[in-house]
Parts: sequence; structure tokens; C-alpha cells
Amino acid sequence: MKMKKAITMLAFLVVSILLLAACGGEDAGGTGSGNTKSIKFMHLWPEGSSAQHYKVVNEIIADFEAENDGITIDLEVLSNEQYKDKIKVLSTSNELPDVGMTWAAGYMEPYVNGNMFASVDDIIESDLSDSFVPGTAEAFSIDETAYGLPLELNISTIFYNKAIFDEYSLEEPQTMDELYEIIDTLNKNGVNPIALGNRDAWTGSMWYMYLADRFAGEEDILTQAINREGSFEDPALVQAAEEIQSLVDSDAFVQGFNGLADEEAKSMFMGEQAAMYLIATWDLPNFTTNEDVPQEFRDSVGYFKFPTVAGSGDPNSYVGGPGVGLFVSENSDVKEDAKEFASYFVQQWGERAVTEVGIIPATKVDADSLELPEMYVDVLNDLNEATNITLYADVQMSASAAQVHLDMIQALFGGEITAEEFAKTHEDTLSAED
Amino acid sequence: MNKVMSNKWIIFLYTFPALLLIAVLIVIPLILSGYFGLMDWDGIGTMEFIGLDNYITALQDSKFWDSTLHSFLLALFSACSLIGYLAVALILASKIKGASLLRKIYLIPMLLSSVAIAQLWIKVYNPSNGMLNSILVGLGIENPPAWLADPSIVLYAIFVPIIWQYAGFYILIYYAALKNIPESLIEAAKIDGATPLQIALEIKVPLIMNVFKVTIVLSIVGSLKYFDLIYVMTGGGPNGASEVMASYMYKLAFSSYNFGYGSAIGFLLLIITLIVTVIIRKITANKDEIQY
Amino acid sequence: MRRIGYILLYICLALVAVFQIFPIIWLFMFSLKTNQEIFAGNPFAVPLDPKWGNYLKVFEGGIGVYFWNSIWITALATVLTILIASMATFAITRMKWKYSGLVLGVIMVGLMIPIHSALIPLYNMFLNVNLIDNPLSIVITYITYNLPITVMILLGFYTTIPREIEEAAIIDGSSIHRLFFRIILPISAPIMSTTVIINMIYNWNEFVFVNTFISSEKYKTLTVGIQNFIGQYMTDWGAIGATLVISVLPIIVAFLFFSNKIMEGITASAVKG
Repeated sequence: MKMKKAITMLAFLVVSILLLAACGGEDAGGTGSGNTKSIKFMHLWPEGSSAQHYKVVNEIIADFEAENDGITIDLEVLSNEQYKDKIKVLSTSNELPDVGMTWAAGYMEPYVNGNMFASVDDIIESDLSDSFVPGTAEAFSIDETAYGLPLELNISTIFYNKAIFDEYSLEEPQTMDELYEIIDTLNKNGVNPIALGNRDAWTGSMWYMYLADRFAGEEDILTQAINREGSFEDPALVQAAEEIQSLVDSDAFVQGFNGLADEEAKSMFMGEQAAMYLIATWDLPNFTTNEDVPQEFRDSVGYFKFPTVAGSGDPNSYVGGPGVGLFVSENSDVKEDAKEFASYFVQQWGERAVTEVGIIPATKVDADSLELPEMYVDVLNDLNEATNITLYADVQMSASAAQVHLDMIQALFGGEITAEEFAKTHEDTLSAED
Repeated sequence: MNKVMSNKWIIFLYTFPALLLIAVLIVIPLILSGYFGLMDWDGIGTMEFIGLDNYITALQDSKFWDSTLHSFLLALFSACSLIGYLAVALILASKIKGASLLRKIYLIPMLLSSVAIAQLWIKVYNPSNGMLNSILVGLGIENPPAWLADPSIVLYAIFVPIIWQYAGFYILIYYAALKNIPESLIEAAKIDGATPLQIALEIKVPLIMNVFKVTIVLSIVGSLKYFDLIYVMTGGGPNGASEVMASYMYKLAFSSYNFGYGSAIGFLLLIITLIVTVIIRKITANKDEIQY
Repeated sequence: MRRIGYILLYICLALVAVFQIFPIIWLFMFSLKTNQEIFAGNPFAVPLDPKWGNYLKVFEGGIGVYFWNSIWITALATVLTILIASMATFAITRMKWKYSGLVLGVIMVGLMIPIHSALIPLYNMFLNVNLIDNPLSIVITYITYNLPITVMILLGFYTTIPREIEEAAIIDGSSIHRLFFRIILPISAPIMSTTVIINMIYNWNEFVFVNTFISSEKYKTLTVGIQNFIGQYMTDWGAIGATLVISVLPIIVAFLFFSNKIMEGITASAVKG
């Protein structure tokens, strides 16, 4: 009796699996047939965490479908880390989506070298000529050919808590010396000066990059060192590393920063447990429009440009760069339509990105004609006056050099290595790749 | 009897499904990963055959050896904690009041996904707001360590949640094994005047020795390829201080786009695990099978 | 003296119990907080203004489909894993043949593979047989990757089954199938319940494979639902907490059920034996 039962159950299971397989097969055969063309599009703004991004993307897609009869957009949305992992797996099997998102420079290099991304020069020259902020499209170019259409542009600045600054009669610092005084005052009063989550290392990298930029003065020595026009053992780059350790020694950063995620550090700043926080403009909504953040806190956030050091450096030189951009797959069956969609997307994205989503787009926008929170207007104006934007080092470098850079940043901040060792390891890694 | 129990057709029928699945979905990928290990490949462009270069590089790579050492330390700690799990299981399986309720409560953490466990322990270890340091400060300790930031502590700090995460798994197995011991054996010992401790150590533990040996293998193999919490809680940092073999492999293959080298590390991980397993099996080999 | 010993033992046991039950309570509190309270506040604190909206967000995110997929994929994979593993373990431990050691060795190798080594080859294979974005690929992978550990757990128990039981059955003229399905499987019910619990937990919480092999919303499972709340620069941890609470509830119920089965199975087999 029991055995009969078992066998029946087994048979049932086998049949149900076969049925499922059959269904799956049918589904797979169904796409792409008939008169409709389907463009596969993957992005990394899930509805749950990025409701506004998600909504605007869907509206753009709906408009595009309405204007282009017979084309449907097949959407897949993943979170950041999962997106990167999946793109990697898809590319090994040559199964990239027709349109997807990529990061600039070092991240996209293997895909470009492996002929995975199509050139988008034609789009930039025709539909989008002169619409990008200078430098952004270039970050998505390799050997003068563009392979990505940038969607965002971020610059990093030091955000600070005005209430805390007022309490101790502190002013926005112009120089590193002034910053050290502020740190000293705050420490004496038992306030954490700077929130830093260096488990994610790119956060500490921004501090290092800014100091390198300020020590270097006019020239962008860091970028030159990375693209091998210069050496990483340049005095400015070593000095910057020394300065990091002197900041650490003066207890500038919160306790245990090397074990904290950026998110934890951000919460300390937003919870008024730390007075300053160096982050990029992608966090602007948290300081302006995000209703989940208490109004009182949002009102008390200000920002200042990274200070100059020992009379050297230009405050209008920024660390930042475009975040994600769109790529079109080289091996797409519907490449022309995919390009059309990507182009349409970028054109629609610009103004809506800043007004509805709250991010700074890589396309030029006229700040004065839009109704924006004051901080956005300030940032957009700063951007117009920017003399230089140094692209994030971990984005500039190849993926494996970036990994070394991030490890070294943690070691430098943790005091495990000296400034000279820091510079030498970078030099060795970069020259070995060349 | 022997004829029935050595029917080739039946043996084939019973083992074929398992073998087929493992051959196709595990053995083939394994061989492929060994093969990719012979290539210079970023996972995207064209592959270039470079012979054993990746394997030789790995053997000279201090990061690889550090991560191997960390994995072995984890394996050692995990294996030692088995004794603790066994003790708990012995208590829970004995006839004390409330054992059934306690057992259910004790196993709850194993139901949680790694995402939840990682978040919990990140909060435990947070240097300024964390539960652990709040308690330490409350006890009057001035400068409690930054658990996940200090390179000399982070590895051991992260072992705690891993070992805790698996407690339920092993307690459950031991518990089922202990409950499988015929009541008559224990009753007989009681009549002979054995104390509960004697019954536990001299009757129960030897009877579940087979199961214990299996769990030694499971815990060591599981530790050597462990990945989850380390990846979420420290990402192997700071500067590799908590890197283990599997997280190093993942970093190389998926973050550094060095897929060939990552595959080689993955394959070495397998070889190392295989050797360790063979050694353990040899050490714990059955001299006289226990039967009842 | 003895009494004091017991009291001490109970105090220890109770302390550990508090420690073990705490994560569930913590998780529930977590699910009612904002990011701010989660990261900067005291983890013990009861949220002053509980954010039930976190649960609302989760339901709006279409958790129903994920939930159903998690249930049927977990159930199907668990049942098949245990059936296939039991059959293999039976043949390896109870039957007499030359290569049983070798077969066991192959199965044990399956324990050792790091999943990220297998990911890309597996994707490629499933792509070739058109099983990408088909839940079957997930079910098959779950079965295979849980087989080795299931066999290992069963192994320790199968070796302790007395030979006499088989001999008696065979002498009575029972076939091997009958022996396996009617005698061995029921005897091993307690340990099967154990492996059910373990398989269930693994399958329920898995996400690397689902994330890689599945792209349609209609096939995604609960663990992927969590990903919905992780953004490019910002993550909604409260909603993740709510998803975790919702997803742990069924597994607690199932756990309590099968945990009792461990006991029932033993009494049942004891009566028969």
C-alpha cells in the first residue's frame, strides 16, 4: 500500500517536471516571433529601493513603445551587486541584454576589448551632439570611441551639520589647517568629527584622491599616474598618503571606520552622531527632499568644497564622475532598434532625472529654469564652475588594479603600511599591467 | 540473501539518479573550472592557454596562502565546536523537563538566512552603537575593540557568528542520532547503576560515533569552502585580514575580472579539501563497526 | 547537591535559550524601523513609531508570486533530494558491490565544490538545453547541490540499521523495493525529518542560483524579493527586515512540524521494531 503510494507520488513528480519543462520550452520559443521586436533591457533601480527611478524608467519605456509600433521592451531589474554578477555570467555566454547599464572606464574595458559593447559614437554625433556635460561621455570612451551613454554625474563634497558647527562656533573651512582645528575642537567636546565607512574602501579613496588633487596643484597627477603618463611615487601622491595618516592620527574619523559600511557611517552623520561626511551628490535627496528623513535634520545640512592644503590646490577641482551609463550590446539581434531606444532614453532622462528622481544627470540642464531645492541649484552652479573633475580612482583603474587600490586604502587608513609602501604598491601594480 | 542484496540492476537503479545529477551538474563544472584555470581569461574576451601559470602564480601568491590559512583556522574552530554541540544535544536528548521546548528554541537561529544573520552581527559588532561594545562600556571597559576593523581580531570576530549559525544544524543531527538509540540499552545501563554522565560518555557517544565522524567531515569541508557571512560582513577586509579561500576566489573571478586565475584558485580549493577529507577519513576509519 | 546542579544547568539552558530566541525578536523590531533607527539607534530599542508601512511596501512589491514560487520549488526540490539521496544511501550502505566506495567518493566530491566555481559552467549548460529562465533549472540545481550533504547525514544512520531487519524481510520473500519503501524508509523517518528540515532551510534561503538562472518576475523567489529593496546608492533596510520576517514565518511553522516528526517517527519505529 505504502509502496504504491510512493510510486504514484514519484510518477506524479516526474510528470509535473516534464510538464514544467514543456511550458518553459514554449515560453522560450515565444519571444521574438511574429511581427513584434523585443528589446531586452536590464537596469539596477528596483522599485522597492528606487521608486522614482523605477517609475520614470517605466514611463520612458511606455512612451517609447507608444511611439514605436511593434517594439516592446523586455525589462529585468536587479540590485547593484546582483546586477554586476549577472552581467558577468551573461557575458561569458554571450547573452548580454540588448541595452543595459555599465560603469565607466576600467569597469567597461574588458567588455569593450571582448567586443561585447557596440560603439555609440553615431548616437552621440547625431541625436545627442553637445548634450553631455564635458568629460562625461569621454569617461565612457576607450581609444576615442564611446561605448556608453552616461546617465548620471556625481561630484563629492563634504556635507556637514550646521547645528553642530553653530554650537561650537565653527565655520566652513577653506584650508586643511582650518579643518584640523575643527577636528580638534569637536574631539575636545566629544563629538565625532567625520563619519567614514571604510569597509567599502571607495569612501576612503575619495579622501585620498582629494588630498592628492590638492597637493598636486594645477596638474592631475593622480590620473597621470593611473594612465601611466606619470609615476605613483610622485611626491604629491606620497604626501597625500601621509596626510591621510595624519588625519587618522588626529582622530578625524569615527571609531572603527575600517569595519564600518558606508551605510553605517551615513547613518551616523544623519543621526547627528558625526559632524561631517564626505560623499557624492547621489545622496542629495537624503539632505533635501526625502520625506523619510526628519525635516529638522535636512534643514541643518550644508556642504563645503574640499579644503586646499598648504596653499596648494584649486577648490573648484572635484573628485567625482559619471555613475552608470547605457550600453548597447554588440551582438544584439535588434541593434539598431536598441540604439534608438538608448538614445531616446538618454534624451528623456536628463531633465526628469533631476526634477523627478533627484539625481544630477550627465546631460546638460538649465538649473535656473527648473524648480529645484536650493542645494541642487548650488551644486549645479558649482558644476558649471568646475575646473576639473577627477574620475574616481577605482573606476579609472582596471578591475584588478582597483582591487589592489581599495585594499591599500584600507591598509593606509589602518596604519598597516607607510605612505611610501602605499605609493610603491600602486606603482608596481600599475606598471605590471602596462 | 546475498544474491538479492547484490542485484546489479537494482544497485544501478538506486544510484543512477544521484550519480547522473552529480556528474552533470557538479563534476563537469569542476572539470571545467580546472580547465579555465589553465587559461588567461577575463571571462569575456578570448581565452589564451597558458598552461599551469595560474596554478604556479597561486602557489607564490601570499594572499592565497593567507586566505588558505584563514580557512583552515575556521575549519579547526568549527571542528572543535562540534564537541560543544554534542554536549548540548546530549542534554537536550536526555529526559529533562522542557527539553522539547528548549530544543525548538535552540534551533531557531538556523532558520534565518545569511542576510539576516549578517545584519544582526554587524549590529552586535558596531564599534560605537553595537550591542557588544555597549555592554563592555557598561562594564567599565574604556576602549573596547573595533571588532571588524582591527586586522588582528576581525578573523576571530567573524568566526563567532559562523559557528553560531551552524550550531542548530549539528545539534539537530546529533539529537536525531541520540533519539535513535534503543531505549532498552539505556535502561539496562541504569539498572547496572550507571550515572547519567557515564551513560552519556560510555554508551550514547560511542553509539553515535559514526554520525559524529560524518559531521567532522561536513564541518571541515563546509568551513574550507565557506563564503556567505564573510562576504557580507567584511568583504574579506580590512586589507585581506578576513579573506578566506572562497571569498578570494570570488573576488578574483567576479570583481577583478581575472576569471582564469579565480578558477584556478577554485580548483585548488577543491584539491585541498579533497586531500583533507581523505586524511580525516583515514584517521577516523572504522576499526570495528559498531552495531546494536 | 544534585538539586543545585540541576538548578545551575537550567539557568545556563535558559540563558542560552534567551540568546537564541533574541534574533527573531530583534528581526521583528528591525522590520519596524527606519534606516536611521536601524543603523544609528540602539538595536535593543523598541521602535517608538513602528513603521508598519514597511510591510505594506513588501506586499506592494508583489511578494505573493515570490512566496508561492519559494514554496513549491522548496517542497519539490526537498522531496526529490531526499528520495534520491535515500535510494543512493541504501544502495551504498546496505547492498553488496565493489564500487560502493567509489560512488560514495564521487558524491562526497560534490560537497567540496564552491558554488561560484560552478556558476558560469552551469549557466552555460542550462542555456544550451534551453532551461534558462525556467524554474526547472533551479529545482534540478537545488536537488544536486543538496544531495551530497543529505547522503552524508543519512549515511551515519543507515550503517546502524541492524542486518537482521533486512534478512528477515528477504527471507519472508519481500522484494528489494518493498524492503526499501516499506521497511527502511519508515525506520529512517526521524533522520529523514532532520534532512527535510535542513534541505528546506537551504532551498528556502538560496539566492545565488535563482538570481543567475531566472530573469522573469513570475519565477523569482522570496530571496530575490529582498533584492528589490537594495538600491544603487541606498537600501531600504526596514522593508528588507519585513521581507525577512514574512519569509521566516512559513519556515518556522514547517520546522516545528517536522521537528515533532522526529519524535513521532521514533516512537512509530520503536513499536514496529
